[in-house]
Amino acid sequence: MRKGPLVVTFLVATSLVAMFFIPHHKVQEGQSVLLNWANVVYAFALILGSLTLWVSHQKKVLARADGWQYSVVTLAALSFVTVAGTLQGVEEGTLVNRYYNMVNSPLASTMFALLAFFIASAAFRAFRARNAEATLLLGTAIVMMIGRVSVGEFLWSGFPPVTEWLLDVPNLAAKRAIALGIGLGAVSTALKIILGIDRTYLGRS
Amino acid sequence: MSDALNTSWFDPARVNLLVGLALFIAFLIINISRAKGGSNMYIRPMAGLKAVDEAIGRATEMGRPVLYLPGLGDMSEAGTLASIAILGRVARRTAEMGCDLDVPGYDPVATTIMDGAARQAYIGAGRGDAYRPGTVHYVTTQQFAYVAAVSGFMLRERPAANIFMGSFYAESLFLAETGNLTGAIQIAGCDQVTQLPFFVCACDYTLLGEELFAAGAFLGQEPVQLATVAAQDWAKALAAAMVVVSLLASALGHPELGQLLQTR
Repeated sequence: MRKGPLVVTFLVATSLVAMFFIPHHKVQEGQSVLLNWANVVYAFALILGSLTLWVSHQKKVLARADGWQYSVVTLAALSFVTVAGTLQGVEEGTLVNRYYNMVNSPLASTMFALLAFFIASAAFRAFRARNAEATLLLGTAIVMMIGRVSVGEFLWSGFPPVTEWLLDVPNLAAKRAIALGIGLGAVSTALKIILGIDRTYLGRS
Repeated sequence: MSDALNTSWFDPARVNLLVGLALFIAFLIINISRAKGGSNMYIRPMAGLKAVDEAIGRATEMGRPVLYLPGLGDMSEAGTLASIAILGRVARRTAEMGCDLDVPGYDPVATTIMDGAARQAYIGAGRGDAYRPGTVHYVTTQQFAYVAAVSGFMLRERPAANIFMGSFYAESLFLAETGNLTGAIQIAGCDQVTQLPFFVCACDYTLLGEELFAAGAFLGQEPVQLATVAAQDWAKALAAAMVVVSLLASALGHPELGQLLQTR
């Protein structure tokens, strides 16, 4: 079995953990260098990713698979951004910059704006009073919604303080309990990888 | 005048973290020894993970794909690492059942690594020839372009099961609601506390908090992997006990213990 990648992982990870506890400026500079190397790896992976993107969409177009027209748009956009970005760069006023500001950003904002409708449909489903827990959730949600709008204070001055209490006490307690578990889970996952217990990331079981 | 260069070799403000880490490693070693010694490593059953097999089976019967979403995290995030381990298990089950798997990637580095993990899972299941290049494929690093691509896939291909495991952000509800509209079985696990309510609303099963990190071990049922979950539970019990003790000490006029637990 190849042990090289496991040894490299162990050495780099334990070095970074040690660097976290050592504030010496030389060590901190070393840590910055190590972290910058990750950007180099990322750049190569981006090229690889773009190639797989091209290949998978090209296959769809050639096979006239369902929705192949969208793949044509993807390939055209990928070609345009790659060629224009290579020739002109991405600074203010260039084609890629204008494409980003006039096409990409408005599309992303439009998608984000749809979130309100998704929240409404999810809330409608979640707030059905099917059992005691769902009824409690519904009651809490009603108090929260009324308490967070101006009319809530007009109806009863106690609404805003109640919503603050709900957010700061039961809600925060639950969030912190989950966050504690997540923190410990993250440490456990990191240790499994550092110690070579979990090797799935190397393509091994 | 420039700041003086730091020449110390240990940050005393982080001694509590170092002690915590040492304790965690000790718990890990003890539990791995117990596992290797043949002790029974019990993990309480998690409904969401038991449903993974059911979801893949349903997809196989319906002749539809399983969609696995690894989240928007990069390789520096523990949620992504946990997701890779879970993907390995899920890919093994889809390989065994002969079901199509589709994994759209967000981060190019993570996508490349997940491709290797999925391919190896197929080989491990004795179905290496069934692994379709492009099963794990890169989509984009633009958050809402990713949402558009995955939502489009859900609506066109109608996967029978959607599995969301990893770090999700504002896109969580878009993806989970679109999947809900298509009628797919949905199982989610996320390490972002603020996104969990959205998954709870829109998915059939949701893994909360540390359950995401235990999922890989649970699905594999290997003793050493289960030992790491036991170590995690011991650490959690210790942390909870310390919180209660420091709370009581503060109430009795001794806040020093609570201050010892503070980090920076």
